[in-house]
Amino acid sequence: MIEKLSLPVSVGITFDHTKRKVIPRWVLWKGRLYPVEKVGFHHTFRSGRTLFHVFSVASKTLFFRLVLNTDTLAWRLEEISDGLPD
Amino acid sequence: MDYRTELVFNKKPSTIMHLDLNSCFATIEQQANPHLRGKPIAVAAYSTPSGCIVAPSIEAKACGIKVGMKVKEGKLLCPSLIVLAPDPWKYRNVHLGLRRILGGYTDKFYPKSIDEFVLNLEGYPAYQKGMFNIGLEIKERIKKEIGEWITVSVGISPNRFLAKTAAGLHKPDGLDEINRKNFKDIYSNLELTDLCGIKTRNAARLGGMGIYSVLDFYEAPYWELKAAFESILGYYWYLRLRGWEIDDVAFARRSYGNSFALPKPLTTIEELSPVLSKLVEKTGRRVRRAGYKIQGVHLAIVYRDGASWHKGVTTSKVLFDSRDIYKIAFRLLARSPYRRPVRELAISVFNLLPEASLQLELFDDIGRKEKIVKAVDKLNERWGDFVITPARMIGTKEAVIDRIAFGGVKELEEFTLNT
Repeated sequence: MIEKLSLPVSVGITFDHTKRKVIPRWVLWKGRLYPVEKVGFHHTFRSGRTLFHVFSVASKTLFFRLVLNTDTLAWRLEEISDGLPD
Repeated sequence: MDYRTELVFNKKPSTIMHLDLNSCFATIEQQANPHLRGKPIAVAAYSTPSGCIVAPSIEAKACGIKVGMKVKEGKLLCPSLIVLAPDPWKYRNVHLGLRRILGGYTDKFYPKSIDEFVLNLEGYPAYQKGMFNIGLEIKERIKKEIGEWITVSVGISPNRFLAKTAAGLHKPDGLDEINRKNFKDIYSNLELTDLCGIKTRNAARLGGMGIYSVLDFYEAPYWELKAAFESILGYYWYLRLRGWEIDDVAFARRSYGNSFALPKPLTTIEELSPVLSKLVEKTGRRVRRAGYKIQGVHLAIVYRDGASWHKGVTTSKVLFDSRDIYKIAFRLLARSPYRRPVRELAISVFNLLPEASLQLELFDDIGRKEKIVKAVDKLNERWGDFVITPARMIGTKEAVIDRIAFGGVKELEEFTLNT
């Protein structure tokens, strides 16, 4: 099931200077820590002049769409899914 | 053109490569969400039961789900189908990634749509690697640089048409060449309708001349094809099937337009005008951003019962302000003779004029108007689309959402120019 949201979320990241890559490591959601097993895709878009980075990441059981606002450096959780049909 | 009609298959080496991203939107969604991989999924314009499926995954295609089906039809065929809404920026980012990769091999690469590219490697150093090796290298780089789930079918040939045909031979993840040595073998395994551009009506035309297979089509003399198509198209097919180039034509943009499929049936002008206003705002902004003014407006309406109505007008005044375009579009809407539930509303503007000095008017201050429009555009660009809008657009928040057009790359031109 896919749930569309727009809520603040805590995300732990690392930055690898050799690859110049930011990698989300964990998502803290509803008091539970979900280690990120895989970053499926990373893309960007602009709304007005504000640049947003979107990380599509998966824990063992859940998928999270995490959006970073580069103006405020705040993360939002925009989608959560278990990969199963509705 | 020199109409030579005694041609053999082109002896030129295969320098054209066609790349086709397999099940584009669905594959990208599976790339983004690893939990969806290996499952039947479909990207649909709307996830409601009557929403139109725009991209089924390879697994969904195996269940018989096709592009254009309704979501409810897809779910009947495959109850475990997972339906997703389109995410245009995700697909545009993949498109840009592909452009980055392909641009390293040749300057002559042409995006044909969001998921199709044509490369001409003739005369470029990369050609020395060999076309097959380049195809394999591109596939590898896509997996490494864009995503491991993304696959492309690659076709190689002396011309664009046969390169596209070759790319369709083994989907997904194919790599095939059609050249003067193997074309007859390949033609003998294809149906006429496997050729891009030949569907039932053209197949019937050809059948009328006794042409029933691709091999018949190839072997038919020019006069037979001319008689079948009753136009220059017969000669174009004569060239295509012999590996000669006829499709390397780029058409200039002649119009800008936006359309919206209404999720609920609206009938009256009062109901439709806010949606029309949003369509005009969007189109107007795109035209101005591209540096054009216009002298023509066209409105098309498709009704729920399948009927349609359209009307275009050429204006004497040069237009650039969305408010002026709206006035004309609204007049067109008011002139539509039918009051039935509308399924789709489409606006387009034509007679594009590159930025030119404006004719001053006696009563209107055109210079001031242009400054105001530019200021509003700047505000919208700075703070996001539709920050400042006409009041008549109130209530259209979910209408005219961001979409990727199929079949053309004109919209992508704007997008890539602005990134």
